[in-house]
Amino acid sequence: MSDERPTSLWRDAWKRLRRNKLAVTGLFVVLALLLIALIGPWITPYDFLSQNLDARNMAPSWAHPFGTDDLGRDVLSRVIYGARTAFLVAICVTAIALAIGIVLGAIAGFYGGPFDRFMMWFTDMTMSVPQLLLVVVINASLKQPISSWMEQMYLQTLNPIWRNSAIVDFVLVFGTMALISWPPYARLVRAQVLSIRNRPYVTAARALGLTNRIILRRYVMPNAMGPLIVAVSAGLGTAMVLESAFSFLGVGVNPPTPSWGNMISDGLRVWTNYPHLLVAPAAVLAVVTVAFNFLGDGLNDALNPKGQK
Amino acid sequence: MTAPLLQIRNLKKHFDLRLGAFGEKGARVHALDDFTVDIVEGETLSLVGESGCGKSTTGFAILNLHRPSGGSVIYKGTDLAGLDEDAMRPFRRDLQIVFQDPYSTLNPRMTIGEALSEPILFHALASKAELPARLAQLLADVGLSPRFASRYPHELSGGQRQRVAIARALACQPRFIVCDEAISALDVSVQAQILNLLLDLQEKYQLTYLFIAHDLAVVRHISDRVGVMYLGRLAELAPSASLFATPLHPYTRALLSAVPEANPRAPRDRQMLQGEVPSPLSPPSGCRFHSRCPLARETCRSQIPEMRAVAPGHLVACHAVTSATSTNWEASE
Repeated sequence: MSDERPTSLWRDAWKRLRRNKLAVTGLFVVLALLLIALIGPWITPYDFLSQNLDARNMAPSWAHPFGTDDLGRDVLSRVIYGARTAFLVAICVTAIALAIGIVLGAIAGFYGGPFDRFMMWFTDMTMSVPQLLLVVVINASLKQPISSWMEQMYLQTLNPIWRNSAIVDFVLVFGTMALISWPPYARLVRAQVLSIRNRPYVTAARALGLTNRIILRRYVMPNAMGPLIVAVSAGLGTAMVLESAFSFLGVGVNPPTPSWGNMISDGLRVWTNYPHLLVAPAAVLAVVTVAFNFLGDGLNDALNPKGQK
Repeated sequence: MTAPLLQIRNLKKHFDLRLGAFGEKGARVHALDDFTVDIVEGETLSLVGESGCGKSTTGFAILNLHRPSGGSVIYKGTDLAGLDEDAMRPFRRDLQIVFQDPYSTLNPRMTIGEALSEPILFHALASKAELPARLAQLLADVGLSPRFASRYPHELSGGQRQRVAIARALACQPRFIVCDEAISALDVSVQAQILNLLLDLQEKYQLTYLFIAHDLAVVRHISDRVGVMYLGRLAELAPSASLFATPLHPYTRALLSAVPEANPRAPRDRQMLQGEVPSPLSPPSGCRFHSRCPLARETCRSQIPEMRAVAPGHLVACHAVTSATSTNWEASE
């Protein structure tokens, strides 16, 4: 027995991930973009809302690296703010969906029985709801009443927070997306828990008299995490694309809040004359999506090393 | 004789299955039926039989890890069978288990030290300050250096992991350990080491073992008593020496005659069984062995044979065996 440091499975996985160039590139791109999104307000060269009607639809230049749009707004600043929107939506949606999925999936898988059957039925039902249709319906039915309610609240309290229509967009988009994107996580967690709960080390933990809570938290869940981390990485990318898609179609984040989706939508109308308005947000979206996929693949290989070597 | 440590009476375990595309057909696996035995403090009771005969189910049912379908397991005046987890908890400490597969017996995300500390801290068997000394002692008990405490299971060999599994069982200071094929998955040289370790620990801590195995040579070497199981039922239960010297149940005879001999020229009386073990989904009526038994008679098809003592401590469940000396061979003619 050598005296080198003991290595946990997590450390081993990290070592394997670091050897995978594509995954490291993906991780770097994702982290860099996240950093840019976080410090966006301090690094954007221009205010993303300020219009300069003397400098409309300008081609990329030193002053405006990504050019300006049809209102003379700096595209780079808007892309950076779009990253904030994309990460905010992706992280919140994934976090909510993950929380619901882990709780429901773990309970269903661990305890089984009627609750498990009900959960699986409920999961299948949720999965059968067409996402786009639901978002459109919610936009069409809820947006108007909520907006007018907020307007009333503003008139009563004169608190400017009620005038911020971006809140309605975000809560509606997040809420809807989170409420329909948890089933894959729930199923994944349930399947993992099912396969783990009868392993000898879990039975041994029961024989030791440990409570179900301890067993679930310390024996079952840590061993169920691998595939979940992969799914989260893929899920973040998917959520970003979905946010852009909804915004592109006008049912997600609405102007003037910048989103890559509505920027692509705007750029598409004029792309023959001003291709940079389409290319800038679309390229960033493509790069980040590919980065998440590389990272997810790398995590998959790093966390589930069986069948390699 | 003092009162037995565990009084097991008519213990049953059935698994209900749903078959068919829509689960429309119910089926019942008779994994264990009418298992009755007293386990005496300090003894090693072995259970042998083919795979699928219910040996492991017996161990799981006694420890209430599989909730028994019927019968009772009396320990310290309490019937453990059917106790819920909370009521069972105080007894769990005393009754431990060691599993077969050393590669899945330890939580891969926990160091050996964490795995061993868990039961100690949970049952408050040592304070945080005493913990390192206790861990070192547990590891020493199973022949490992204290440095192993910071290791992860995947850094250990199969034999080392099995030692840790034994240490984990010992951490609770138990009185009774089910060794569920605890050495079957190991190399032969390692098997001997682990076996000797188990025997040393038994002496040191006055442990009682239920030793589930299929290697008859090992069982003969270490057991005080041996039970032979066939298709979920105990066929014969006898002190080790008497079972191997005078096996009475026709199944035990067939099983023992299948043990390989070191001398290939030794005269042997092989008893070959015909056919396969019937499915536990629909076990044969009467004596479960009658479909393959050379002595089977009409009564064997209809009546379940009771366990009867044919010699002191030697119990057989067979209609054809009436005493330790005269097996009713003629009756089969």
